[in-house]
Amino acid sequence: MELFKPDFGLVFWMFVAFAILFLLLWKKGWPAIMDMIDKRADLIDKGVEYAQQAKDQLDKAQESAEQIIADARRSQADILREAAHMKDQIVEQARQEARDAAQKEIESARVAIAQERKEAEKNFRDQVSSFALDIASKVTRSQLLADAAQTKLVNNLLDEIEKTN
Amino acid sequence: MRSIEMKRFIQNILVGFIAVSMAIVPAVAQDAATGADSIGDSSVDSEVVDAGNGHESEAGDFNPKDIIFEHLGDGYGWEVPFNHHKRMPLPIIVWGSDGLHIFSSSRVAHGDVYRDGNVEFMIAEDGDYKGKLVEVNSDGTVSRPWDFSITKNVLAVFFTVILVLLCVLPLGSWYRSKGYVAARGFKGTLEALYEFIYVSLIKATLKEQARRFAPYLLTVFMFIFVSNLMGLVVIFPGGANLTGNIAVTLVLALITFFITNLFGTKHYWKEILWPDVPLWLKFPLPIMPVIEIFGMFTKPAALTVRLFANMMGGHIIVISLTLIIFIFAKMGIAAMSGATVVSMIFQIFMLLIDVLVSFIQAYVFTMLSTIFISLAQEHEHEHEEHKEVPVTK
Repeated sequence: MELFKPDFGLVFWMFVAFAILFLLLWKKGWPAIMDMIDKRADLIDKGVEYAQQAKDQLDKAQESAEQIIADARRSQADILREAAHMKDQIVEQARQEARDAAQKEIESARVAIAQERKEAEKNFRDQVSSFALDIASKVTRSQLLADAAQTKLVNNLLDEIEKTN
Repeated sequence: MRSIEMKRFIQNILVGFIAVSMAIVPAVAQDAATGADSIGDSSVDSEVVDAGNGHESEAGDFNPKDIIFEHLGDGYGWEVPFNHHKRMPLPIIVWGSDGLHIFSSSRVAHGDVYRDGNVEFMIAEDGDYKGKLVEVNSDGTVSRPWDFSITKNVLAVFFTVILVLLCVLPLGSWYRSKGYVAARGFKGTLEALYEFIYVSLIKATLKEQARRFAPYLLTVFMFIFVSNLMGLVVIFPGGANLTGNIAVTLVLALITFFITNLFGTKHYWKEILWPDVPLWLKFPLPIMPVIEIFGMFTKPAALTVRLFANMMGGHIIVISLTLIIFIFAKMGIAAMSGATVVSMIFQIFMLLIDVLVSFIQAYVFTMLSTIFISLAQEHEHEHEEHKEVPVTK
């Protein structure tokens, strides 16, 4: 049958025309189109990857920002606590120092008072003994002549009085 | 809302179509009936059978087979749209017994004998070379010269080539000049098609070898797709049964065959000549190598025949449906009108399916070519992976 016999002329022209078509498209047509299809696919893949990375980084940045804020809060609390503690310490110290100073004052006052008192006692005794002597001399001038032994006696009596005090 | 409008629109078209065909067909039939005894003969003559190819059907002899094969075949000349009495003459280029002859096909139309120099040419009316240009020898016998004529199919090849170039080159130059800017409209549509073939077929099958073979495979796809679609357009410059012609599919299959084997790897040839089978299957009697070598040639044969047969089949169905009208015409006007309506509905249905088939056949040819080429691109390590599979199972 005619349909199943390839015609020589048609085979020849078909080959020539197809070869020309192929060469033209091979040189001028397909490479640019395939390049662009490949490149665009690449670009889209990279874009998706980039967006993913950016999102990851953003998440990470947010996380670290939160971390920093939390740290700052914690150190703020620490500092406040420290300050309160220090304040207490300073007040305490001041109080202690004041107390010490007062103690010292009291101490020296007490010493001074004791000394005063001793002196006063001594004065008093001297005066009392002189008064007693005066009195005794006045008494004994009239009654007694020898007075040395009598002064001694009176002093002894005064010592005894002091002791009992 | 929209679907109701659509429905009404389609209804209107159908009613209009049926009314028009009812009106036209009886008129044609009556016209024919007054002109000749047989309705079939004259209406067929005016509608389907061409008068310019040197043979006309005899009066009263309505032969659907001849009509079908004439429409499927090649011809020296192309029917003028809507007029089968006239044909556009095409150049005839032959290498006869005394050298090159170039003349118009109108010189040998209607069975005329044309004398060019010392040699006489005519289109054979019967015999081995029926419908082909032959050289008339001095003793009255005919012989076939080397025929390089620009026939209807050759011209259709040229049209297809030009259309494919128009489809591809503008997009290529767009991307060379515009970079990443995506093409829109027609170019964008075509790019989606190329991307579909290139990414999901060629790249998926050939992997890193894709860039090497893609230009050929994409060209084959576009050539077959465009010529399939052009074959569905019934008037000039369409209507040639190009991919339903065995010469065209043979050339394409042979190119695939040569690409497959010329670029085949060492491993591919080893698999053919010394396959990995028990020794007795290949040593004293080379059973497996013979089968493998046979397989090398069945692949292009399958490619040739399946595209040719599929496309030719589609054309035969549509023409047969048309001829049903003229077969029923002998049975009277009512039968003819009914047959016209039914035939038209089926023809439209078939043509729509043929649009789908045009794409599918182009895709299948490209897919098979890709697979044949990729089978010849296997390397040793890939084969070892294949070998491990049955072991693990």
